Amino acid sequence: MESNWAVEHLQTIRTLMERSAVYRRALAPIMLFAGFTGVFAAAIGLALHLDSPRAFGGFWLGTALVAVAGALLIARRQALRDHESFWSPPTRRVTQALLPPLTAGMCLGFVFVFVELANVVVLTFIWLLFYGCALHAAGFFMPRGVKLFGWIYIGLACGSLFFLGMVRPEVELNAHWLMGFFFGVLHLAYGAYLYLTEKGKNAA
Amino acid sequence: MNPEPFLQLDRVIHEKGRLAIMSMLAASPELSFTELRDALTMTDGNLTTHIRALQQQGYLSVTKSYRNNRPLTTCSLTPAGRKAFAEYINLLEQIVRQNKGK
Repeated sequence: MESNWAVEHLQTIRTLMERSAVYRRALAPIMLFAGFTGVFAAAIGLALHLDSPRAFGGFWLGTALVAVAGALLIARRQALRDHESFWSPPTRRVTQALLPPLTAGMCLGFVFVFVELANVVVLTFIWLLFYGCALHAAGFFMPRGVKLFGWIYIGLACGSLFFLGMVRPEVELNAHWLMGFFFGVLHLAYGAYLYLTEKGKNAA
Repeated sequence: MNPEPFLQLDRVIHEKGRLAIMSMLAASPELSFTELRDALTMTDGNLTTHIRALQQQGYLSVTKSYRNNRPLTTCSLTPAGRKAFAEYINLLEQIVRQNKGK
């Protein structure tokens, strides 16, 4: 009997399992960590008056690196605790989805910082936009709410850019407050929501 | 070739459609009827028939609930289903190993 069918069967099963697996790991603690980092960084930025584009850009890019490193550590810790592989197919897919928009946002940030192309408030909303796109892309491999969370960022960024650019250009905003709210408070709110709903599910 | 492992393969799981359902559910705690139907491009009737067969065998459990006032049917593997699926995979691997050893 031809035996290739068994190999093909196993390959098909593997493909189907990879397609079905959704990244569900540690989302609530990651969101809470990102939120606390955002709020803490905003407080530092305000206290130290890091208002020049270079200081602002460098400081927040550094904060983003801290948030990403922390998120990876939390995910890894949970993987170790559950005796699962950290670099699993769902993790790979989520990373691949996140990378293009985040890289684009980071590169644009560097350009803005070093060439001083635009003011820091515009830079904030551009980062917001790219971050929203990254979340939306990752949301295809994560629980449904992440896509909606991405849309919230995209909507807020577009709405704010439109409002500040076309309707009320005279309004002056502090970029650290904006970063603290969008990257701090929103993450905290989503993390708290996830924490409470997951807790509810476990209790049920 | 030793036909023994092949003969031990679970006939219920071995069917193409049911194997696809089992594979998807093995990697996820639960999936909705719609998610399964869309991922496997099956018709409602076809999927229902396969789910019923797996349910009768005790491999799959179906939960009916409501989300946003709309009925939601979710499927998940039972412990017996997970065990049967793992055994099925083991047998397939055994067949592959046998043929490599030739």
